[in-house]
This record gives sequence, structure tokens and C-alpha cells, in this order.
Amino acid sequence: MVFQLSNTVLLSLLLVLISTALLLIVQKNTTNVIPGHKITNRDPTFIIAGPSGSGKTSLFNVLTTDTVKPTVMSQTPNVAEDYMLPSTVKSFKFKLIEFPGHVKLRYRLFDTLKESTALKGLIFVVDSTIDPQKLADTAEFLYDILALTERFPEGVDIMIACNKSESFSSRPPLKIRDALEKEIGKVIERKAKSLSAVNKSGETIGESGSDDASAASLNFQGIRDFNFDALDGNVDAIEGSVLKNQIEKWECWIDERSVN
Amino acid sequence: MIDQFVVFTPSGQVLYNFSPQGKRLAEIQVNKVVSELITNGARRDESSHKYTILKLDQFAGMCNISKHPPLVFLCTYAAQELEQIREAEQILDLGINLWESLELYQVMERNTSRQGGPKNHHNFTWVLQDCDEQMSKFDEYFKLKLTDVKAAKTKIREPPIKANPQTLKAPSKKSAINVKSRKWGRDGIMEDSSTQGDLSSLDFSAEGTPEVTPSAVSEVNEKAFGTRTENGEFLIKEIDELLSKNKRGSAEKPTASTGAFSFLQKHLLGNKSISQSDLTTVLEKLKQKLITKNVAPEAADHLASRVSQNLIGTTTANWTSVETTAKDSLQQALTELLTPGVSVDLLREIQQRIGDTGKKAPYVFSIVGVNGVGKSTNLSKLAFWLLQNNFRVLIVACDTFRSGAVEQLRVHVENLAQLTDETHLRGSKNRRGKTGNDFVELFEAGYGGSDLVTKIAKQAIKYASDQSFDIVLMDTAGRRHNDPTLMSPLKPFADQAKPDKIIMVGEALVGTDSVQQAQNFNSAFGKERNLDFFIISKCDTVGDMLGAMVNMVYATGIPILFVGVGQTYTDLRTLSVGWAVDTLMS
Repeated sequence: MVFQLSNTVLLSLLLVLISTALLLIVQKNTTNVIPGHKITNRDPTFIIAGPSGSGKTSLFNVLTTDTVKPTVMSQTPNVAEDYMLPSTVKSFKFKLIEFPGHVKLRYRLFDTLKESTALKGLIFVVDSTIDPQKLADTAEFLYDILALTERFPEGVDIMIACNKSESFSSRPPLKIRDALEKEIGKVIERKAKSLSAVNKSGETIGESGSDDASAASLNFQGIRDFNFDALDGNVDAIEGSVLKNQIEKWECWIDERSVN
Repeated sequence: MIDQFVVFTPSGQVLYNFSPQGKRLAEIQVNKVVSELITNGARRDESSHKYTILKLDQFAGMCNISKHPPLVFLCTYAAQELEQIREAEQILDLGINLWESLELYQVMERNTSRQGGPKNHHNFTWVLQDCDEQMSKFDEYFKLKLTDVKAAKTKIREPPIKANPQTLKAPSKKSAINVKSRKWGRDGIMEDSSTQGDLSSLDFSAEGTPEVTPSAVSEVNEKAFGTRTENGEFLIKEIDELLSKNKRGSAEKPTASTGAFSFLQKHLLGNKSISQSDLTTVLEKLKQKLITKNVAPEAADHLASRVSQNLIGTTTANWTSVETTAKDSLQQALTELLTPGVSVDLLREIQQRIGDTGKKAPYVFSIVGVNGVGKSTNLSKLAFWLLQNNFRVLIVACDTFRSGAVEQLRVHVENLAQLTDETHLRGSKNRRGKTGNDFVELFEAGYGGSDLVTKIAKQAIKYASDQSFDIVLMDTAGRRHNDPTLMSPLKPFADQAKPDKIIMVGEALVGTDSVQQAQNFNSAFGKERNLDFFIISKCDTVGDMLGAMVNMVYATGIPILFVGVGQTYTDLRTLSVGWAVDTLMS
């Protein structure tokens, strides 16, 4: 009798365990923002991205160690877990990730954007001394990022950090923002004209069925002139200089985002 | 003389740099090396060298890449002389040894681990947190031993002059030691007393210093407070002692425990540190799978070595088997391989060209490839896409060799003309008396030898700029890639026609030979000119056997831009790396 009872108890316990496990798994999958991607990062996260040579790693160093250190081109991301800005009042902790800007390694940034749930903000570092005419590559990169961040219900706030403001040839942030806006408009135009990407079946025209195809065809396709204000996330352009340690404005921006 | 010696992490942090000329860090040089590492990976083609050597246009870089902890030692030098290579090798040896003996590896590991070292007010640990002392030691020792390396070199080079290394070293050492002589002397005593037993086994002969007994060392040590030269000499001994001690220390390594638990860790639990033996079977399996998908064995080997490079020494995540981890890593390696190193946006480049020069010079494509891969077909597909974007296209029949080649293109042009303008009458001539209409036109000059090809090409470009065509598409004769007589005309053709983009069409059907095809075609245009991108045709016919793509990119590092997926003009697609990788891994 006792033996029998313990057996049923065991069985029911097992059932309970299995059902909780199932429930947990289901819950995990339903919180997916982008279907088809497992979530690997649930921490509140700030991301530093941008083209090569814009000063991302230096910015990361200044943010984390308050000193400017020599850097070279990165091959792997820099990560600071539980990072803290001293200015934050209630000692808010977040993850700070800095991604390499090399074209071949951008997929890591895109993967992270797909697999994160709590993106607080993205710092897009730009070399402000660059000729606005030559921003096309940068604009394309930003477009690729926007295509992913705009899939979140409220978008992700983006700061265009116009680095190297100490240089005499640097341009004001508003000018860079406008130039980027214009270039992204052109990118969208070109994307509409270019050949669609090959998709899963490999035979039919890229329809919205596969998720990579819909990633490329952002919902601002129909807008005539692309405008940052039309996006869900805010896009601000703020100047600063990593070398001269003038990043207070950027820290303020991060601060504002982390409080909310 | 080397240019510079740099120690940096893959995440871009420069930990140490040294230049014999006392110049500041030349980031551009390092960036070039890193960029080369990213695009082509560290391929070991010359097995005779201990370290990876990268040859770049202005200089060469020799580097040692360690993964755990991730660190790169790089030595750059100007010329490609044997002596330079030897010097660079010695310097790298020295740097790595010193780094190891000062236990900087352990510090790095501690600082990057989860628990981490001491945290600053940002709650962050820098890689080299709290090792200022070790770093200054490293700096001093390194500079000192470097003069040693140089002294040894001069000794080899000029054997008749029996130069005493001591006198050679003296002047440069003075400046380095001067300030801290007292401190290091004291340090020396401590070192001396603690490791007296080790001294007998030291070998100083390589540095050209006499054998010394422990008592002699202490004697020197006492004198060291007085004379600088001897202090320098003593320091070298201390360094050597440090280095040799380390060698013995690293000999004893913990052996991995085997048993049921490690089996579970490997296959189910995760959190297992991966060793070579864990990976061999898994990688062999993955390699076989890739090979069944038409990936050439050498490309598969390269990918596998990349995976093992990335994984050995790391620990698997919780609840992840070694196999899954290896698979993920392979997926990453494939993605990195197939992703273009530079963004290629044809429309932008064409628009820029037309905008810049006011429609004077047309944008010229030339298409090459082996026989029967679909050069003409893909050229017409490309033409169709360009026509849709309202460019005026001139198609040039540079295949003057195969009978029917021109006629074949004529059919395509007729088709395209009809597609752009429904009123176009097949077989009718346009107002310039050529096949086609106002948007697309065929430029032909019959059949003949290879001289004719260049002549046609030049004429066509001139004609195109006179008639204000936007784009010139040149179809060339198919040729076997391993026949020099067929391949050699390509170089003068490229020199004369100066195409903006040389496209190679490769078929997905071909197996291992694709490596050779891509390599031979890429080198056919001489040293200065490479292929610009590939079109992989017939992708619809191979199912998931897309290995040819991997092979061609592996062989040349040139990106795939388009893939052909069908028979009609609209069946040209841009490559989606994610799709290709998923198909290959499925």
C-alpha cells in the first residue's frame, strides 16, 4: 500500500515537473520578438556600432576605464557585463557591447540585434571628419541596423555619435544627420531596384514569407523621402570627442535611456 | 631592423607596442594586417616558418595568434629578407616567452573570466587591470633582451671582429636601466635566494655570457649597485632565469579526467573544456558532411582548422554538447567566409560613374568563365536587370571563337529589346543599323583570332561613349582554365579594355575543380588585376550541394554577388549568405 502510494506520488511529481518544463519552454518561445530566432540576450543592453575606424573601441575604453588607450581594428566584440555609469542615480546596471565594424564581421551585430529583447539604445559612432558625400557606406550600414531595430514594437533609440569633433575638419552633427538621412533615402531606392535575395526554396521570387526577405523590406519602403523622425525609435546626432575625453553629452544620452 | 612589435587582443586593445626607431604606434600598419586576417584568415602555407607570415604590399607581418586567452603578437618589417624573418622570429619568441614568464596570460584570463579581477567604479575589469608593474617589467626586459638579440646578430654577421656582446650592449642599456637600477637590483636578490637551485641548469651560452655559479651571481649582484653595465648583465640573467623557470613549469600539464562524467559533460551537460581529442571525431563528421555537399576537401580542412582554432581551450555552454558547439562555430566560419569583405553595390557605382562624368565613359563589365557555365545567359540576365533600371546597355560579342556565339547573343538582344519595347520587331535594325533598339544593342564584328577580341573591345567602348550608352557588357569566349594558351589572351584583353568589373561565372554543378578554376582565372589578369566577383549559375540544379560557392570564395577571397536560379531573365538573385550557410549546414 505504502509502496503503491509512493509510486503515484512520484508519478505525479514527475508530471508536475514535465509540465512546468514545458510551460517554461513555451513561455521562452512566445517572448520572441522576431520569430525564428532564439533569444540569447535578455539583459538591458547598450550597443556601440559603426564603421571601421570611427573610434568605437576607444569609446568603449573611455566609457569603461576613463582613459584613452591605443587601439587597432577589432576582430571580436568588447563586452562589459553589468556595466555602470557613475552618474546614474540608482546605479542601473546594463550590458555594454562594442562590435567590430569590419564588413565581414557585421553579422555578429545583426545576430545580436535579432536575439536581444531589452535593447536600451544603440550608439552609432561616425567619424565626423568624413566628407558627407562619402557617407554612402555608412548609410548602408545604418540602414541594415534600422531594418532590424525597427522590428521592435517601439524601435530602438539610436544616437549618431559624431566622433572626432576636436578636428578642424569635423562637421556639425546636424549636417551629418541630414546627409545620412538623404543617403538612406537613396539606399532604399536602390534596394527597391536591385535584385531580390535568393531565399529558402531558391526558386521563387523573394516574397515576404521568409523572414530574411522581410527584414530587408522595411516598412518604410513606401515613404517617398526617408525621414528619421518617421521611425519608431528616436535618432539623435550628438558631437563629441573620444580623444579629448569630451563625451559628457553621450553619457547623458545613455543616462537618459537607462533610467527609463 | 623590424618596423614595430605590437601585442594586441582581437578585440582591438593594444597592450604593448615597441618600435626600434622610437616612433609611435602605426595603427594603419596593424589595421592592414588585421584586415588581412579577417578577410583571408591565418593560412599557413609555408610550413617552414614557426609563425604565420602575411605579405602585404608595403611590408610583411609575422604574427602569433593565441586563442586562450585571445592575444596576437605581431612583428612587422619592411623587406622580405631571410635575415629579417629570422630577427622577427626571435623577437616574437622573446616577446611570447616573456609574456608567459611574467604570468601575464594568467592575469588576462583572470580579468576576462566571469568572476573577474578587481572592478573599477564602472563595474568593469580591463584586460590588464593591476598589472602595471608586470607591464613595466615586460617593457624593460623586452628592450634589454632585444639588444641582446641584435648583439647576437651582429656577432653572426661579423665573425672576424670578436666583439664582446657586453661592450656592444652597454651604450643602449645605460639609458634603459639608469633610473631603476636600484629597484631591480633588490628584486634580483629576492629572485636569487628563492630559486638558487635552478641556477645550475641555466644555459647562458646563447647570450655569450660565461657560465656562473650561484655564488658568482650574488657577487655580481652586490657589485650591481655600483656599475651599470654589470647591473644590465645581471638583469639579463634574471630574465633568463625567469624564462627557463617558465619552460619547466609549463611542462607539467593537468591531464583530463575520463569517465562517465566527462562523457555526460561532452554530450549533454556542457560546461566542458574542449580539447583536440574531443573535436577530431566531430570535425571529421562535419567535414565529411561538407564534402558530400561538394565542398572541396582543402576548403573543408580550412574551415575545420578554423573551428578547432576557435574552440580548443574554450568551455561549452551549459546543456550544450561539443558537437552542437562545433556546428555553431562552423556556421560562423562559413558565414565569415562567404560574407563579402567589401560592400559591393553595383547600382551605386554605376550611378556615381554616370553622375560624375556626365555620361562620357560607360561602365564596362566583362564576363569570363569556363565553357558552358552560362556566361551568355547570365550576361543577358544582368542586362535585363540593368535595362529595368533604365540604363542603356551595349552588349559586345567578344566571343569570336565559337561558331554561333554571336548569333546566340543576337537572339538574346532581340528578346531583351522586345521585353523593353513591345513594338520592337524581331530582326529589325535600329536607326544606327544594328540589332536591337534604343535601349539595348548588339555590337558585333564577326569571328577571328584573339587580336580581334581586343580590337572589338576597344571599338565597342569608344562606340558606347560616342552613342552615350551607360553600360557595356562584354561576353568572352569560354576557355579551359588549365590551358595557358587559352588563358594568356585574357591579360592583354583586360589591359586594353580596362573593364570596371570582371565577373567570373562559375557553375554550382562543378565539384572540387572549382578551386582551380577560380584560382587560375583570378591570376590570369596579372598581379594588379583580380576578378571582382562571381556569379554562380545553375544553383537550381544542385539542390543543397552548394559547395562550389564555398570553394571559389575560399580559393580567391572574392565575393559572390549573384546566383543564377533558373532559366528566365528574372532568375538572377543576390546571394543571401544566411541562406547559403543554412543550406550547407542542413
